[in-house]
Amino acid sequence: MSASPALRSQLSGRNPADESAPVRIAVKGLNFYYGQFHGLKNVDLNFHDRQVTALIGPSGCGKSTLLRTFNRIYSLYPEQRAEGQILLDGQNVLDPKIDLNELRSRIGMVFQKPTPFPMSIYDNVAFGLRLYEKLPKSELDGRVEDSLRKAALWEEVKDKLKQSGMGLSGGQQQRLCIARSVAQRPEVILFDEPTSALDPISTGRIEELIEQLRAEFTIVIVTHNMQQAARISQFTAFMYLGEVIEFGPTTKIFMNPEKRQTQDYITGRFG
Amino acid sequence: MPDHIVSSYDTDLEDLRRSISEMGGVAEKMMTDATEALVRRDTGLAQAVIVADKRLDTLQREIEERSVLLIARRQPLAIDLRETISSIRVSGDLERIGDLAKNIAKRVVAIADQPQPQKIVLGVQHMSDLVQEQLKDVLDAYGSRDIKAAHDVWERDGAIDALYNSLFRELLTYMMEDPRNISFCTHLLFCAKNVERIGDHTTNIAETIEYLVTGENPAGERPKNDASNYATVTPAA
Repeated sequence: MSASPALRSQLSGRNPADESAPVRIAVKGLNFYYGQFHGLKNVDLNFHDRQVTALIGPSGCGKSTLLRTFNRIYSLYPEQRAEGQILLDGQNVLDPKIDLNELRSRIGMVFQKPTPFPMSIYDNVAFGLRLYEKLPKSELDGRVEDSLRKAALWEEVKDKLKQSGMGLSGGQQQRLCIARSVAQRPEVILFDEPTSALDPISTGRIEELIEQLRAEFTIVIVTHNMQQAARISQFTAFMYLGEVIEFGPTTKIFMNPEKRQTQDYITGRFG
Repeated sequence: MPDHIVSSYDTDLEDLRRSISEMGGVAEKMMTDATEALVRRDTGLAQAVIVADKRLDTLQREIEERSVLLIARRQPLAIDLRETISSIRVSGDLERIGDLAKNIAKRVVAIADQPQPQKIVLGVQHMSDLVQEQLKDVLDAYGSRDIKAAHDVWERDGAIDALYNSLFRELLTYMMEDPRNISFCTHLLFCAKNVERIGDHTTNIAETIEYLVTGENPAGERPKNDASNYATVTPAA
């Protein structure tokens, strides 16, 4: 649906779907195979800088697979392969010569279940920094605090940084994982159903956080919650059976989608 | 369109559709009866119109409540969201149409014992016939999601405004001819104005149909031909 010009200018202050924003990730002719199974079929998709793009679709449609190609997590498994191009700032991440560690520090990922390491809150956040950057203690402290603040967790944990990250609540653990991603100063953060295991209050915090993170990062989120996609994303892609069926500004997709399949899915009519 | 996975969702939307359709039927009948009562000076029929308005008010409140519950419980999207919002809008227009028809009925009671010849009423009757046609067409278009029929209704509203304008002048002439006509003609003038407003609500419904089907609100100005504001006094500049 197109809002009236006056309303559009009011809304754009808050939630612009900025189609003129530079493309941070360009997916071109991407095909993905799990052995014989053709998981992604000729996917072409652009992810705009500092915008939240939601990937929606029924289970098995390829949303998570697409997400997993961006930082090449799949390459842990020998029978899985990708063909085509995923250009991160013009550089093809599928290129075998690319440094995976560097790639993964540029593209962070947060999973469905919180995955804190069995170590202190501080060490969880400092983990990647210690691995890739040799920072003096004071600077490391600063980066940890900064990351925890960006993940909206600092006030809750500042007095117990030495305690185990496993002792936090589910919602806090998820924000700890976000802090761990943010600490690497990535360009892109991928969220794979980040709130599906959380209660509504923790979910609200994460959504609020994603809105704030958008100022600095390009965000891609896989979610099964239509309303969540409608609330927090600027762009939405609907996928089905490994193909992108429809991509566009979120308001358009949820108010008045072009394709019948999109409408059937988001309105709960899928047979 | 395929059914929802949750079948009670379909029932909810079906209930909304049925209530709107009942409201449409009641509003249409009220308008026909009010006009009939005016033409025949039938106060009994006029009273029946006044009573019927209660049903319309009840239905409108029910639709509003159902819609609010549906939004809260199902968070409708796309066509379902537009249909829910359209139900609220259309029930509001139909409720207003009922009020205006009721107002005509009340005036029928007020002028029942006036001696004026029936021919004075003919103009209002003719205008009402046109608007009844519009109302019927727009309700059919809502039921069948017929955007072309809705647009036709939308375009025809200009003609009704023009008719109201000439009726205004006609009634003015009667009043100038004989001051004893003033009370009667003033009531008639209000009846005509009510009919014209019912036409406006019909146009609103036509616009809602366009929104419901396409997701867009109609572009451009509404056809407007009501110049009665300036029938006696022309603005200076």
